[in-house]
Amino acid sequence: MRQNRAKTSDYPKLGSFRQTTPRPLAPAPDFWPAILPPAACRTYNIHMKLIAALLAAMLPCLAASPSADKNKVLGSANAPVTIEIFIDYGCPMCKRFHQEELPLLMRDYVVSGKVRIISREFPLNIPAHKYSREAANYATAAARIGAAQYDAVANVLFQEQESWETSGKVWETVSSVLTPEQQKKVKSLVGDSSVIDEVQADVDYGTAGGINGTPTLFVEKGSKRYPATGGVLAYNLLKGLIDDLLK
Amino acid sequence: MIFSNRASRALLILRIALGVVFAYAAWVKLDTPWQLFAGAIADYKLLPEWAVNPLARSLPWAELLIGLLLITGFFLRIAATACSLLLLVFFSLMVRAYAFHMEISCGCFGPGELISWRTLLRDGSLLAVSLIVTWTSFVGRTPWSVFFPRAQRISAPL
Repeated sequence: MRQNRAKTSDYPKLGSFRQTTPRPLAPAPDFWPAILPPAACRTYNIHMKLIAALLAAMLPCLAASPSADKNKVLGSANAPVTIEIFIDYGCPMCKRFHQEELPLLMRDYVVSGKVRIISREFPLNIPAHKYSREAANYATAAARIGAAQYDAVANVLFQEQESWETSGKVWETVSSVLTPEQQKKVKSLVGDSSVIDEVQADVDYGTAGGINGTPTLFVEKGSKRYPATGGVLAYNLLKGLIDDLLK
Repeated sequence: MIFSNRASRALLILRIALGVVFAYAAWVKLDTPWQLFAGAIADYKLLPEWAVNPLARSLPWAELLIGLLLITGFFLRIAATACSLLLLVFFSLMVRAYAFHMEISCGCFGPGELISWRTLLRDGSLLAVSLIVTWTSFVGRTPWSVFFPRAQRISAPL
């Protein structure tokens, strides 16, 4: 009976059904063969590829924010709290923030050097805001000339929002606050690829941060960064938040 | 309470999962400045300004308490009822905001999450689980035991 019993070694191994010829080993790294056998080198290679894939997947998280145009920054670079705001010139809530809350923030925190505000472009890609991208490009081009020009263009774009949004006369609105010389410069800059890329970099940065509406504020101090989405945070709440962070 | 072994195990898992979700939601809110949660509440445009701040400060603690009670099983009927009522209110408000196309933050698990069909589905599922847990804590049998009257029953704590 015992002799008739088949031994496990009599059966072909499971792997042999799938593959009759041995698979060639992956080439070993140059500096390992002296230390490790080829099988270990292959394992090493697989692990290294996995680590590389993981690092590549993490790259968007590790990516630093695009450098902000200095003319779009309000306040001291040494301010302990930074507010990053993503705006769309065609968005009514952004207009409200710009006209009602920004002056209060300037008065209470920016002038005293406690808060720095970074404006970022986030023109929404929706039919109702079809001229927002153009407006963002003009504002960015104006910022290349100077902070005063950027402020003037941003102010007039928000002030005349309903007008240019319906008529599409963005340039007419922007040019009304610029001198003829500045108009020439802005007109030449707006088609420049660096301006277009800067706007797109802001949009990409915002999208990577999970933004899908405007205005979106990020209030940050050190490594802490808090998003305020879905509308304008009432000024008393924003003030309370900044005061808590400054403590 | 009388349940089959399998039902009591499923209910225990559901109850603890619900408790963990509530405790996690509370922890996220307590870990971020309360003003952001107050902003999310204010965006629903239902409460007067004077009521928003106290609610934003107290609600996360209530959620934490409910979560811990659900996990431990103490005062289960009270905790499960409170949980269901809270979720019913949250879900109704979210459906209302979604129906009116209000692009506002849900406020469920901290700031930065806009109301969408995903958040509705998630909160709807939580509400369904909570209602099942509440039902069983009072009635003593699972809602689906109605369809399986001959199922073997043994005594088991919920």
